[in-house]
Amino acid sequence: MTGPPTVTVVSIGNPYRSDDGVGAVVLARLREEFAGDDRVRFADLDGEPVRVVQTWEGSSIVWVVDATSSGQPPGTIHEVALAQLEDRLDVGVEGGHAMGLGEAVELARALDRLPDDLRVLGIEGASFEEGDGLSAPVAGAAVVAADHLAETICRSLDQDVPEGRSGSGRPIAG
Amino acid sequence: MTHDRAPRRFQVEALTRVEGEGGLVVEVRDGELADVRLRIFEPPRFFEGFLRGRSYTEPPDITARICGICPVAYQMSACQAIEAACGVEVDDGIRTLRHLLYCGEWIESHVLHIHLLHAPDFLGYPSGIAMAADHRAEVERGLALKKIGNRIVEVVGGRAVHPVSVRVGGFYNVPTATAMRDLAIDLRDALAMAVDVARWVAAFPTPDHRLPDDMPLVALRHPTEYPMLGERLVSTTGLDIGVDEFPDHFIEEQVEHSTALHGTTSAGDRYLVGPLARFALNADHLAPRAATLAAELGLDAAERNPFRSILVRAIETVHACEVALGIAEAYTPPERSAVPVASRAAAGSGWSEAPRGLLWHRYELAADGRIAAARIVPPTSQNQPAIEHDLAHLIGHSLHLDDDDLEAVCEQAVRNYDPCISCATHFLDLRVIRS
Repeated sequence: MTGPPTVTVVSIGNPYRSDDGVGAVVLARLREEFAGDDRVRFADLDGEPVRVVQTWEGSSIVWVVDATSSGQPPGTIHEVALAQLEDRLDVGVEGGHAMGLGEAVELARALDRLPDDLRVLGIEGASFEEGDGLSAPVAGAAVVAADHLAETICRSLDQDVPEGRSGSGRPIAG
Repeated sequence: MTHDRAPRRFQVEALTRVEGEGGLVVEVRDGELADVRLRIFEPPRFFEGFLRGRSYTEPPDITARICGICPVAYQMSACQAIEAACGVEVDDGIRTLRHLLYCGEWIESHVLHIHLLHAPDFLGYPSGIAMAADHRAEVERGLALKKIGNRIVEVVGGRAVHPVSVRVGGFYNVPTATAMRDLAIDLRDALAMAVDVARWVAAFPTPDHRLPDDMPLVALRHPTEYPMLGERLVSTTGLDIGVDEFPDHFIEEQVEHSTALHGTTSAGDRYLVGPLARFALNADHLAPRAATLAAELGLDAAERNPFRSILVRAIETVHACEVALGIAEAYTPPERSAVPVASRAAAGSGWSEAPRGLLWHRYELAADGRIAAARIVPPTSQNQPAIEHDLAHLIGHSLHLDDDDLEAVCEQAVRNYDPCISCATHFLDLRVIRS
């Protein structure tokens, strides 16, 4: 793909199912950070695969932020590249959605619509019960994840990384 | 090949390409079908309890989260119910925008179901993704059509997923004339694509099957429109009722094998809602291009083969594109985006035709504007007994098939109803037990 990189950040989840809504919280922070920058776009989705694929069309770099349930401690942040994605889907990176990211990736592959760089930032949830609001460890992890993503997006856009983010330095699991 | 009367038991664990988590159990004893149970084991979602204590303004946003495929249906039924409780009628321009928004959802939902969930059954593929390798042009066309459905929801509803512009009384914002002119350009392409999709679907090999003759079909009815926002509920058995009469004629009951309620008539009879029922009761109100195409493709109001429901969805998609185009071309922004709605201590009911069928809501409001009670009757709950009955009818005539073929027929038949289990309890595995 030629031209300046275009980054799409997609959240998948339901804010009325507790920690399943962490992706939207991360994106809300990022929207403020990149307000007015049309090289970066954001979308809060429910995981329906066609919407996911159509949302990332035209972007060379795609991040998918989703809650995970893999048995790791709540708030653990997973960063998974496409090459590792299929294996990881089996350990819960897919999140709680009946039709989800795995189908979106396979559909995009069948239609030659995979972005050059697709990564998933998964945040391990504590509760997926009905209700709004995040659990404490997941709310903290959302801040760290947003800061990590902001830094990474800035680097991919050859842009200076703003200083002073609270989550800098916290380890991200691969 | 199996022998009809040999005791045997087999099970199929995963019926895919439905919305939500559930299963199907088929029991065959001495070569005769003994039982069919559509099991829904997705945890109940307690949305009705979740709504209690919330403000009367919140149901459109909260209930939209019940389903990612048909949030507009939940918003429309919720708004109408609360407006009825508050004694408010919306302006014609607001209702027209609601109709347009609903067209977008029908296009999105029907096109997704046709291309990725159901067409693979007819063409012999295990998934829409596998089908895309051999039918790429058709899948690409479907995705382009769905995208225009998304676009309608985005223009009218503020965003493509879980629209945010809808409010009790109308909308927070209405589209500009310029945005609607651009949408009309897309919709002319959408209508042409929808017609091509219907012709493609009409050529699918269709199993010869007919709904049981004693299956009432139930749908909304409008004096002039094919119902998305209907006024009366009618049935093939002569029922003709208003929205507040729904609980007098239809009930829901708990069954052991499902976390979703089962809907029946108050007399305990199963009934069917959804595209086949809508078409049977409202074909005379299809938009002209859709009506002409239906006739050309051999579809009429007497259609009772559930395997032709995919064609009905395709015709309804043409209709939705046609109606949406008409609205977009004639659009001028309404004078006001919403009518004021003051809460009062009262109860109200609302209904609309979700892509999968009738969706009824009722809310009781307290004097302080809080929701005292909420009841939501989604289409898949209503259809569960009918699906089981139709499957029993189908399987009873298909016991000569071996286990794999029987499984395939059952899966395809379940998908005739596009069950949204996420709505009903809110996946489906299949077990066939022969003994």
